[in-house]
Amino acid sequence: MASQGLTYDGCNFFRQRLILSTLSGKRVKIRHVRSKDDNPGLRDFEASFIRLLDKVTNGTRIEINQTGTVLFYQPGLLFGGTIEHECNVQRSVGYYLEALIMLAPFMKNPLRALLKGVTNDQKDPSVDLLKATAIPLMKKFGIDGDGLEIKITKRGMAPGGGGEVLFTCPVRRTIRPVQMTEPGKIKRIRGTAYSVRVSPQMANRIVDSARSILNQFIPDIYIYTDHMKGANSGKSPGFGLTLIAETLNGTFLSAEMVSNPQGQGETILPEDLGRKCAKILLEEVYRGGCVDSANQSLALLYMTLGQQDVSKTLLGPLSPYTIEFLRHIRDFFQIMFKIEVKKPNEEEMKGGNKVLMTCVGAGYTNISKTLK
Amino acid sequence: AAEVFLRQQRAAPNLRKLVYGTVVEEEEEEGEEDEEVGGLFRVSRPEKGKRRRADGLDCSRFEPDDSHDWEQEEMLASIRDCFVTGKWEGNTDA
Repeated sequence: MASQGLTYDGCNFFRQRLILSTLSGKRVKIRHVRSKDDNPGLRDFEASFIRLLDKVTNGTRIEINQTGTVLFYQPGLLFGGTIEHECNVQRSVGYYLEALIMLAPFMKNPLRALLKGVTNDQKDPSVDLLKATAIPLMKKFGIDGDGLEIKITKRGMAPGGGGEVLFTCPVRRTIRPVQMTEPGKIKRIRGTAYSVRVSPQMANRIVDSARSILNQFIPDIYIYTDHMKGANSGKSPGFGLTLIAETLNGTFLSAEMVSNPQGQGETILPEDLGRKCAKILLEEVYRGGCVDSANQSLALLYMTLGQQDVSKTLLGPLSPYTIEFLRHIRDFFQIMFKIEVKKPNEEEMKGGNKVLMTCVGAGYTNISKTLK
Repeated sequence: AAEVFLRQQRAAPNLRKLVYGTVVEEEEEEGEEDEEVGGLFRVSRPEKGKRRRADGLDCSRFEPDDSHDWEQEEMLASIRDCFVTGKWEGNTDA
């Protein structure tokens, strides 16, 4: 069993398994991928994801059976460098970018990835959201410098895509342990309302409605309107909103909402979208914690791979994806977190219960990073 | 004090067990046999339970809880102190 690596069933948490396998060097086998589905096997977006992993690594061995229901993955070395990838439009760039963000600091060469595809869709965290929340989070773990950036050069909405995103990230030898136990109070709310291939007025309508709800809490709100034209606007029309609440301690909580893709579902008014998105942000504030719910697993991964020291992070309620991620971390790195529930004081009005996650890092060092 | 501690222990659900403990139980649930019809065909059961989770959508987004109605004053009040405009603790100062 040990020489065979780890075996999993089903295609859920596909990325987690491959990412952790790549980082830990353990082989992984995934069986029964949609084996009872009418259309069995790996989907195009998963195949595209495997190709992306192949591009950033050296010597990776991948075997897929004829129907695509069994995948064997033997990780190679994380190489990095400059890559270009055409992301499948079934999932947005966020799906691929989330994985790259997890892997990028541990590569041999600094990563410079040009990803093409759908920048904003309803399933995955959008590129705007990752740019606003994941980047500051990485800085807390000591991954910073000039090279750390996510840049949206072209926007592409589902289903057509046609967007373009540039992600650059420096490499690190070790990850700093963190103590994030005090989220701090929210000092301002920022956001981006974007519209492509629709009237630029849509963005303004979104901004007005979102402000009407958030102004009850705080006056410092600024929502940028971003209207991309011509070649930068991708292939499909759409609009959406990303909201970010920033606290005094540098915690970023986020919410987002996108219009339905062209020809799918009902059309949504920009006013409704703005209001709904503002409410999602309030929900996120209610959950609270020092890390945004979309980035919980990223923070936990960096904590696991940190130096052999204690890391502490206060999180909101754990998302199902994060819970599964914790189980996978145990499988691959044999690290278990101490999980404590923190109830807020009665007289304070700071939302729901929080969870304090504590662990000792695995002392992971990036041996492939060249010394200069 | 010991009593208070014990009560607290019971009240707080053991999250560690929830996260790490349930895996074993789920694995036990497996072993569902396909029924045979006429000795030749197998009934392929509609995917349910564990299967559905295993082939679910791989997505990190945490869907918001619908039970909270953010139109209500009480809900709005429940997060008021998360903002700088809210109440400050005695030992901290703006």
